[in-house]
Amino acid sequence: MSRPGQRSTRLRHRPSRAIPALIAGTIILAAGVGLVWLSVTRLVSGSWPAVLQGPVDWLAGLAWNDPAVWQIGTAAIVAGVVLLLCAIIPGGFTALTIDSSGTGTRDAAPPAQEQETVMTRRAVAHLAKARCVQIDGVGSASATATTRRVHVNVTTSLHEPGDLRQRITDAVRARLEEAGLSPVPQVTATVRSRD
Amino acid sequence: MRQNAGTLNRTWLAILGILVLAAGTALLLQASGTLQEFLNTAPAWQSVITGDLHAFLAPQGVAAVVLIIGLIIGVLGLLWIIAQIPRRNSAGAYRLHDDGSQGFTLCDPSVLAAAVEKQINTLPGVVTSAALLRGSANAPDLTLKVTVNDRADVRDVIRRIQTTTLPELSSALEAPLQSCRLQIDVSGRTQSTGTVVHSTGTVVY
Repeated sequence: MSRPGQRSTRLRHRPSRAIPALIAGTIILAAGVGLVWLSVTRLVSGSWPAVLQGPVDWLAGLAWNDPAVWQIGTAAIVAGVVLLLCAIIPGGFTALTIDSSGTGTRDAAPPAQEQETVMTRRAVAHLAKARCVQIDGVGSASATATTRRVHVNVTTSLHEPGDLRQRITDAVRARLEEAGLSPVPQVTATVRSRD
Repeated sequence: MRQNAGTLNRTWLAILGILVLAAGTALLLQASGTLQEFLNTAPAWQSVITGDLHAFLAPQGVAAVVLIIGLIIGVLGLLWIIAQIPRRNSAGAYRLHDDGSQGFTLCDPSVLAAAVEKQINTLPGVVTSAALLRGSANAPDLTLKVTVNDRADVRDVIRRIQTTTLPELSSALEAPLQSCRLQIDVSGRTQSTGTVVHSTGTVVY
């Protein structure tokens, strides 16, 4: 499926939909294994397995307008829509871009014909959290990050947080800007007093 | 760093989705009798299976066909599951010789990658790094994953990599880098290089 030595793919990409693919692949594999087992049993013993008797009798007596057919059809439509949505919906990017154009020397040629510098969402969240805990008044902090927003949840021992939220958002935004993220994600903060 | 099967997954999920959606829609149209009006199919009150199903399944040939279908389906499912394993797809040996008439010069890209990692690991703020070379000796393709401390100057690390490490690699290969992809990760750990000296608390005059 991939040749060794081929060019690298972009680091900042959409989700690969591995989990829906694993689920679908497992179901398909299980169906194949089941069919193989049924047919091998038939060929070796001369008769289909007993577990098949009930479904065959049920299928023989099934009419098109039976409730079971409606249920199967509805389930198939729901499953088909879910699969299509998994395939069509792009999903959020896995990483944020860092603008590295101003980091090199002015007269030097670019080190590579194609450059890409990214920071994962998890790394951005870690950076934001680490900056938060350095701020006076912050007891503990946790952060989550998307490509557009970073949100930090802060616990403080101060009864009156005052301008703590503003100081947190300013400091985290400055840190992210200093790291070179472009565009800088919007920073929001929730401050909770620990009583 | 590693490459995954994003395009393959989305393609087959879309195909499966369309097939399952079409089958479900056809089933509901048939169950409601609508399909009979347009395509003259069997009436909704009729049995799904017309004829003797037991007699149809009796011949050994049917079991052989089911076996083949099961094998094909099973293999396709297994291949799709295996495709989810992220792959490095690193380059084979770099051929550094011109035409080979006076001998071959081969270089394992992992040697160059190790040298790049060793240099990057000495940079201030870098906790660890991983380098992967793809492409060929004339068009090298470098992917880097650098983990920095959460107090490190990220832009400085990037600048040092771009002004020192990458030009040196390009110089070693005598070819410009086709592409360079750098992923920055952040860790709470500190840099691991250097020697740890333990203090005994003894003062000597």
